[in-house]
Amino acid sequence: MLRIRGLTIAYGGPPVLENVDLDVAEGEFVSLIGASGSGKTSVLRAVTTLLYPLGGTIDLAVPPTEVGFLFQEDALLPWRTTRENVSLGLRIRGMARPAAARTADEWLALLKLDGLGDRYPRQLSGGQRKRVALAQVLALEPRLLLMDEPFASLDAIVRVRITEELLGWVERKRLTVLLVTHDLEEAISLSDAVYVLSRGQRSTVQARRAVPIPRPRHVLDSRSDAAFGPLLQQLWQDLGEESPTQSAKDER
Amino acid sequence: MTHGARRTVRRGLALIVLLGGWEWASRAGWMNPFYAPPPSAVAAVLVSLVGTDEIWMHLEATLAAASAGLLGGLALGIVLGFAAALLPVVAELLEPLMILLNAIPRVILAPLFVIWLGIGLASKVALALILVAVLIFFAVYSGIKEVDRRLVERVQTLGGGRRALVREVYIPSITAWVIGNLKIAVGFAFTGAVVGEFVASSRGLGYLLQFAQSTYNAALTLALIAIIMAFALALFALAERLERRLLRWRQV
Repeated sequence: MLRIRGLTIAYGGPPVLENVDLDVAEGEFVSLIGASGSGKTSVLRAVTTLLYPLGGTIDLAVPPTEVGFLFQEDALLPWRTTRENVSLGLRIRGMARPAAARTADEWLALLKLDGLGDRYPRQLSGGQRKRVALAQVLALEPRLLLMDEPFASLDAIVRVRITEELLGWVERKRLTVLLVTHDLEEAISLSDAVYVLSRGQRSTVQARRAVPIPRPRHVLDSRSDAAFGPLLQQLWQDLGEESPTQSAKDER
Repeated sequence: MTHGARRTVRRGLALIVLLGGWEWASRAGWMNPFYAPPPSAVAAVLVSLVGTDEIWMHLEATLAAASAGLLGGLALGIVLGFAAALLPVVAELLEPLMILLNAIPRVILAPLFVIWLGIGLASKVALALILVAVLIFFAVYSGIKEVDRRLVERVQTLGGGRRALVREVYIPSITAWVIGNLKIAVGFAFTGAVVGEFVASSRGLGYLLQFAQSTYNAALTLALIAIIMAFALALFALAERLERRLLRWRQV
C-alpha cells in the first residue's frame, strides 16, 4: 500500500531524517515511534506532499484522494459548523451541499455527535472536536489512514474510548493505517508492526518489530497479552534507552 | 432587573445629573453661557436646525462623503491588501507607502485634495477614502499573511486546491479582520468627511462647524457635535449588528 525507500528530509540544515525505509501492507496497522524531534511527523508530511523530501521515493498504491490525514491538532475551520466541517472534504470532491450535509450527519451519528451538527468548534469539548476531525477524515472513506499523534491532547479516559472506537472501525473496514506516536504502549496495543526511529539528527529506522497480539483487539486487553511486556522492553532498548524497570532493578 | 439593565439605568441617571447640573450652573450664573450655553439652549438650536430645510442639505453632503469614502476605502483596501499578499512585487512597492501613510496623520492631505479636486464632494470623499483604505489594507494584508497554516494544510490534505483555500480559509479569515476593523473605519470615514468640509467647502456639517466657530456660536457648535455623534453612533450600531451576524462563530 505504501512503500518508502531512502527517504531523506532536511529543513535547510543537516537532514533530520536520513535513508528511511518503511513498508505498510494493505490492511496493516503500522506505527512509527521515536523521540520528539526525530522527524516522525515529517514522514507523514512527505507522504501527503505537504513537504518535498531531499531524496528518496514514496510509492502509494492508492491515489492521493484515498489517503486520509488526521493531524495532531484538530484544525477545524472555526467559522464553519460541525456539519460543514465534516462535509468539507466531500464538497471539495464535488458532492452537492445537501448530499454532503446528509452524509456528514450520518458520520456525526456514527461518532456519537448526534445533535451537534449546528455547533461551532468553539462550543465543543476537546474530545468532541477530535471526533469531528475524525469524522471529517473518515467521511472521505480513505483506504490509507495517516495519523499524527491524534489523541495526544486528550485526557486518559476519553483517549481510551476514542482509540477503542477507532480500532474497531479500522478492524471492521480493514483500513490500512500508519500511526506516528511517541507512546510505546499505544503503538503496541494498536499495531501489527512498529518501526523505531533513532534519536537526534539524521534519524533513521532503527528496527522493525512485529506485534504478535491476535486480532480483533481491545485497547486495554492488549496490554495484558503475554507478548506485550517483552515487546515493550525491546522497544525501549531499540530507542537507545534503558528500560526504567531495568535500571531500577540494577540499582537495587 | 438584570445587571445590564441596572447599569443602563445608572448611566442614564449620571447623564441626567450632569446635564441638570450644567443647566443649573449656567442659569445660576456660575458658567458663562457665551462659552458654555446650557443644554436647553443647545436643544433649542438643535430643534430649530432640524426644523429648517437647510440642515438636510448639509447632512446629506456629509453622509454622502462619509459613505462614499467608506465604501471606496473598503474596496480599495481589500483589493490592494489582496494584491500585496498574493504578489510579492506589489507588496514590495506598496508596503513602504502604506507604512508611511499609516504613520502620518492622514488628514494633513486635506489641503492637497482641495487643490487637486476642488472644494466639492470629491475632495471629502478622497480624504475619507484614504483614511479608511490604509486601515483596511493592513487588516487584509496581515489577515492573509497571518492566516492559520494548519487550516491551510487541513484543506490541502482534504484535496482542496487554490479555489477551495480562498473560499474556505482566506475569505472567512479576511472577513473576520475587516469586520473587526469596521467600526474604526466608520469613525475614520466621518473624520475624513467632516475635516475635509472644515478645510474648504460650501456645505456639510464640517462647513457648518467652521461657520459656527468663526461666529463664536458655541450653542450651534455643540448642537452640530450632537448631530454628528448621533449619526456616528447609528452607523456604529449598524456595524456592530453586521459584526455579530458575520462573526457569529466567534461569539457563541
